[in-house]
Amino acid sequence: MRGENTLKRALDKYPARVYKNRKSHMLVKDSSCKTQEIAANTRSIPGIISNRGCCFAGCKGVVLGPLKDVVHIVHGPVGCSYYTWGTRRNKARKSINEKNFLQYCFSTDMQESDIVFGGEKKLRNAIKEAVEIFSPEAITISATCPVGLIGDDIHAVAAEAEREYGIKVMAFSCEGYKGVSQSAGHHIANNGLMKNVIGTGKGKKYGSYPINILGEYNIGGDGWEISRVLEKIGYDIVTIMTGDGSYAELKNAHLAGLNLVQCHRSINYIAEMIEKKYGTHWLKVNFLGISSTIQSLKNIALYFGDESLISKTEEVIQEEYGMVKDQLEYYKSRLQGRTAFIFVGGSRAHHYQVLLNDLGIESILAGYEFGHRDDYEGREVIPDIKADADTKNIEELKVEKDKKYFRVTMSPEKLEELKKTIPLSYYGGMLKEMAQGSIVVDDLNHHETEEFIRLLKPDMFFSGIKDKYISQKMGVYSKQLHSYDYSGPYTMFKGAGIFAKDLDMGMYTPAWRFVTPPWKTGPILEAVLFGGEKA
Amino acid sequence: MDRNYVNLTVNPCKMCMPMGMVAALKGISGSMVILHGSQGCSTYIRRHMATHYNEPVDIASSSLTEQGTVFGGSENLKKAIYNVIGLYEPSVIGIGTTCLAETIGEDTARMVKEMKTDPSLKSISLIPISTPGYAGTQFEGYFNALKAIVEDTAVITGKSRALNVIVPLLSPADIRHLKLILEMFGIEYIMLPDISDTLDAPYTREYKRIPKGGTALSSIARMPGAMATLEIGTTIPEKLSPGKFLKDKFGVPLYRCPLPMGIEGTDTLISLLAEFSGRKVPHMITEQRGRLMDSMIDSHKYNSEFSAAVYGEPELVLGILNICLENGIGLRLAATGCKSPLLKPAVENLEEKFKNNLSVMTDTDFEKIQKFVAGCHVDVLIGNSDGKWIEEKEGIPLVRIGFPIHDRIGGQRLLSICYEGTMRLLDEITNTYLSFKESTYRKRMYQKYFN
Repeated sequence: MRGENTLKRALDKYPARVYKNRKSHMLVKDSSCKTQEIAANTRSIPGIISNRGCCFAGCKGVVLGPLKDVVHIVHGPVGCSYYTWGTRRNKARKSINEKNFLQYCFSTDMQESDIVFGGEKKLRNAIKEAVEIFSPEAITISATCPVGLIGDDIHAVAAEAEREYGIKVMAFSCEGYKGVSQSAGHHIANNGLMKNVIGTGKGKKYGSYPINILGEYNIGGDGWEISRVLEKIGYDIVTIMTGDGSYAELKNAHLAGLNLVQCHRSINYIAEMIEKKYGTHWLKVNFLGISSTIQSLKNIALYFGDESLISKTEEVIQEEYGMVKDQLEYYKSRLQGRTAFIFVGGSRAHHYQVLLNDLGIESILAGYEFGHRDDYEGREVIPDIKADADTKNIEELKVEKDKKYFRVTMSPEKLEELKKTIPLSYYGGMLKEMAQGSIVVDDLNHHETEEFIRLLKPDMFFSGIKDKYISQKMGVYSKQLHSYDYSGPYTMFKGAGIFAKDLDMGMYTPAWRFVTPPWKTGPILEAVLFGGEKA
Repeated sequence: MDRNYVNLTVNPCKMCMPMGMVAALKGISGSMVILHGSQGCSTYIRRHMATHYNEPVDIASSSLTEQGTVFGGSENLKKAIYNVIGLYEPSVIGIGTTCLAETIGEDTARMVKEMKTDPSLKSISLIPISTPGYAGTQFEGYFNALKAIVEDTAVITGKSRALNVIVPLLSPADIRHLKLILEMFGIEYIMLPDISDTLDAPYTREYKRIPKGGTALSSIARMPGAMATLEIGTTIPEKLSPGKFLKDKFGVPLYRCPLPMGIEGTDTLISLLAEFSGRKVPHMITEQRGRLMDSMIDSHKYNSEFSAAVYGEPELVLGILNICLENGIGLRLAATGCKSPLLKPAVENLEEKFKNNLSVMTDTDFEKIQKFVAGCHVDVLIGNSDGKWIEEKEGIPLVRIGFPIHDRIGGQRLLSICYEGTMRLLDEITNTYLSFKESTYRKRMYQKYFN
């Protein structure tokens, strides 16, 4: 059933040009091919309901938004700021002396007159008011579509405000139309944080193994669970980018001994730039899934190479895994043999496959909303990716070795040796780990979602709120992997247990007994129905 | 209310115009929406509405990129229209503008006009609607869309016995109830818009991309021939009023009534319907009224004990005020994020009549609302779920009503209008107060006497 033929059937309804375009964004995993290329990070087709967001969403919504001690002012009409108000479940708590503004939504609420006469004055006053009311550690200004078009110089306003109030004020030109998806916004935010924040802190005394966690946004407490386990092993977490993260901590990111990268797509720019500027290596990790968590923890210990750290890691793995082992076995027995579609973000669609696999669930279709080719095929393809006009518009920040803080932590020989065993400065992408015959679709849209569900009849569909109800109306259980349907955390060992429990609840909920997807069993006869159309 | 801080909006009590436009279009049969701009607008609004309605909310985008922004977006919009038609087979497409399209001066009306020369598009209604996010809120976007649809669709037709019923954004359950009442009177009606099925669709064996239901374009076309228009809402700006347009252009008599919330508000609607239909009020409705009155007497002893603050869209705010005032619930604040020049005098009118020490805030945000309620005695907040931060921080319980309700289930099923809905809402308000009172009684007594 699965295979090229499935792709053709799913694309059947498209006109020729759309067919050709969309076909290049899909492939069937074929292990006999040495490489398989997929089109990614290109423009969405107008009118085809893509699940992608905009540049602003990636910058303010994803990367900047979670920084808790910062007032994030959105310069623009009210909608953009409003729609990013507490919708992402990036949790944060404040300790004493810390500030947390995540419950707030700040906007300059531009009106028609501001569009006509310029909004700089309003922005300037808004910053003044923000300083007076909230006295934050720092302020970010994120631009929405009209800002760049009417020529408001938000960078000049930021610089002026910084001088006037003596706090960090950063501007981000992340107008919604830039790039082709959220991805452009991630890059812009990465550049800004690298330019303005990282490396500006004086630091404090860190333990033996200071690390940063990059690309972890603490959805449903994911980051807290990761931190708990890492701290138990003995790591000292300098900063998390950016879930439950803060400006105050982020300033010291250059002082860590290793950068762990969870979400590759949204933060790999910072990981690379820190490596170039400060010499800190980065290691790709995945704390979603038991096997991947164990591997990641072992790899971190191997990087530092300390015997006591390695044995402590083993001990914590045993202990943490021991707590959920029986539970996971139980759920696995109930979930085994089922099939899933997984379509999320830039890295989760890969990460969660491990967790699903641990539970005996096969991912038969997977894809990213805004991933690039390297997220599918691995970083080795980066030199082959041709930069198109949309990518060229995003600044490629050049960094130099920092005179004061650049460090060489290991000999080049040792580094090369290590790279053979652990993914240092490397991400292999999703494709390599997928099963033969599984389907990969980039930027899956509404039409294709439906077609593939009809063709492949999965048991579950992992995506977000926008397509959740399409799937459920079709009788297929759907779970949001953006907001976790208000559950979580799903990371590490404990999180895997919670995830398994949630899936079990989803699959066995009595309501499904009353719902049969039409393709599962055709009705024997169309009977008189009493609402809800019993099949 | 004076605003000390006027440049920084903190926790907005409003959404943008395209949001309202989408909500209106979802009530048109066989409709799809394209937002002309960058794709974030569609994505955000889809997410926002799907979370409230728990239904698929499909909104296409012309996905403008930097190139389109510089050289104009008509090619993108054209592609979007053809793709939407190919995949969804809609009978009508509402084409809303975004801040981006409006700022670069996209003339969607002209683009649509050009496209209409394509004979393959003959059977499809393409309706351009101007909805720049900086020119108003979802409230204006909603009526702007309705008016644009009527302007585009209504034609001179023969007279009919139908009654045009134009409604503000209510819940699908409210619209269902209103339709039922119209049917009980035997009134032939054209409901605009009708989200009762489209945004609260029953589970069916076969999933449909465009849900069934909604107002048929052919019905909208016949609106000029109706015997009258009943526009529900007294705060709709004249220039956005579809009823006014039908009156001015086609001479359809226009009647306006407030949202049927509270006994008097509902009485106004019911007596109008009795007049239109020439029938006596159906027995079942009389009984509903009686039951509401009975319930009002039952709960009066609690209701006069506490006070409330109300916020949201102007029309809904007025409706809730009426319920509270009729039941002796003290009112401290009526607030809206819209500029709404008509709400203020309406509330002041009520204040004059009831002497409730009621303040009104328009064009405001939740920070100012919070400051206000923290500074006076308010027991219950009534409004959408965006007030949850105030509930959390000030410890004042929130009765959720309107749009959006994101942190509770079933916002689309809340019935809050006419006698039945008033009774449900009143009970919920009273019970919210009672539950608060009883669960915090000991603590408060302790504080009063031992602190």
